[in-house]
Amino acid sequence: MTSVVRRAVQRSAMFVAALALVAVIWETYKALGPEEGGQLLGIRILPRTSEYAMPHVWDMFSRFGRPEVRGSARTVFDAVLAGAWYSFRLSVAGFVFGAVIGVGLAVLMARFKWVQRGVLPYLVVSQTVPLIALAPLIVSWGGKLEIGAFVWPRWMSVSVLGAFLAFFPIAVGTLRGLAAAPAASVELMQSYAASWTKTLFKLRFPTAVPYMVPAFRLGASASVIGVVVAEISTGLRGGIGRLIIEYAREATGDPAKVYTAIFGAAALGLVMAGAVVAVDVVVMRNRPKEAVV
Amino acid sequence: MTAVSVRNVSKVFNQGKPNQVDALSNVALDVKQGEFVSLIGPSGCGKSTLLRLVANLLEPTSGEVTVNGKTAAQARLDQDYGMAFQQAGLFDWRTVRKNIELPLELKGWDKQQRSARADEMLQLVQLPEFGDHYPWQLSGGMQQRIAIARALAAHPPLLLMDEPFGALDEMTREYMQGELLRICAATGTTVVFVTHSIPEAVYLSNRVVVMSPRPGRITKVVDVSLGGERNEDTRNRTAFFEAITAVREGLRGMHAAHVGLGNDDR
Ligand SMILES: Nc1ncnc2c1ncn2[C@@H]1O[C@H](COP(=O)(O)OP(=O)(O)O)[C@@H](O)[C@H]1O
Ligand SMILES: [Mg+2]
Repeated sequence: MTSVVRRAVQRSAMFVAALALVAVIWETYKALGPEEGGQLLGIRILPRTSEYAMPHVWDMFSRFGRPEVRGSARTVFDAVLAGAWYSFRLSVAGFVFGAVIGVGLAVLMARFKWVQRGVLPYLVVSQTVPLIALAPLIVSWGGKLEIGAFVWPRWMSVSVLGAFLAFFPIAVGTLRGLAAAPAASVELMQSYAASWTKTLFKLRFPTAVPYMVPAFRLGASASVIGVVVAEISTGLRGGIGRLIIEYAREATGDPAKVYTAIFGAAALGLVMAGAVVAVDVVVMRNRPKEAVV
Repeated sequence: MTAVSVRNVSKVFNQGKPNQVDALSNVALDVKQGEFVSLIGPSGCGKSTLLRLVANLLEPTSGEVTVNGKTAAQARLDQDYGMAFQQAGLFDWRTVRKNIELPLELKGWDKQQRSARADEMLQLVQLPEFGDHYPWQLSGGMQQRIAIARALAAHPPLLLMDEPFGALDEMTREYMQGELLRICAATGTTVVFVTHSIPEAVYLSNRVVVMSPRPGRITKVVDVSLGGERNEDTRNRTAFFEAITAVREGLRGMHAAHVGLGNDDR
């Protein structure tokens, strides 16, 4: 367990160092780069370094502590936190939904070769549909959905878009994992006359775990991206996506503000992926330490 | 009663296709209850195929396999045999004890029965203190012993082994051979054992079945008259060397035929 802690500390240190490096590059360019940007044959190839285009890193962070709007008691930090919390819940819903669909599809594809042949190409195609185009469509479909007393709320459409991005890596990774059981182990289960379902739970899923964890991590990040983009493109209130639009509109007067919302969205993705990693550490604690994948 | 009866069995893979393989041709073999029979021969001669047919992991193209008087399929459903391969094939995510309990779980035994049997098996393979370890914390020889314990956990009357000691070093290998004989004597288990090693086959077996490839078939059966009691002295006895020579001649005759010295091949 100590080695796990040491690795976690090392990784976090690397992460912080990488962030610091980005900040240093940002500030260096801001200090040295041309105020009006660089132009080549009339096309701007270097960004402007003005306060308006590139606020100082410390301005972005100090903006967190100041009121959201002049005279309000609520700080930007409070607003971003509330927005991130809202989007987090939608992302978790999307992730869970995507995971159920993804794992379900993977099991069906592993069980029936014809499902795999028929479905897998469409799954790949589905991921090339631009989310921005899909979001308003799903929201409008959702708006027409009424099952008895149940009215489809708009946040659910946004979660569905998170699920739409999350299910794909999960389905593909899980399928790969389910197929990774060694032939000798499959034969062993056969020799016990174990049913396909028994083999699935006692052999295939445990073998698949090392493949599923990275897939779930991708799925978790994808769900956040899906939710934030869907919030932006549908304008759903309450989440971090909406804050990004609103703060971006104020960019002329308050350029640092939009970055606080962007940081919030990034942190959200990290928290989601981190939660999956934490689950991984617990689930894999008794496995051999060398990498399986 | 015969434990295993193989009657005129042939196995053809990819029949009618360009990559057709006659893995076994007209093989007949009877194994008596409590007998230890080894299959030996160059690789590709169909040893594993024959073992898989007995295990009902493959269906014969023609002929019939019965185990304990039942069809091979029924015997598999009744879990009348245990199996062990060259790789121990233990499940990394299960403790040693849980690995041994796997076949019992699949048979629907309750927790207490399983646990009692696992204790018994750990005792049998002389690793009682390793029940709560994970397989990857054990040496190759220990893992193989656990695999044998797993194969025997449900007390099957028949044990099928495919080069189970092939991946072990010579010292461990000889030790494991002794262990296997001790365990089989204690449980009265019938064994069909695939190996590449002539001394191993002779040391372990009542009969050594010599096979040859293309098509896979039985060319010679050597009776080993070493008696029931075997120990390290057995390896120095005249009968041991005689049996080794007999098996070697069986294998060599086939080799001669192959390089064109013989005339019985084509
Ligand atoms: N599933 C299979 N499909 C096609 N050919 C096979 C299959 N299994 C075995 N064979 C072929 O059958 C022959 C016998 O194989 P095998 O029984 O594994 O030999 P051995 O165990 O004696 O080395 C070999 O030529 C092998 O290539
Ligand atoms: Mg083989």
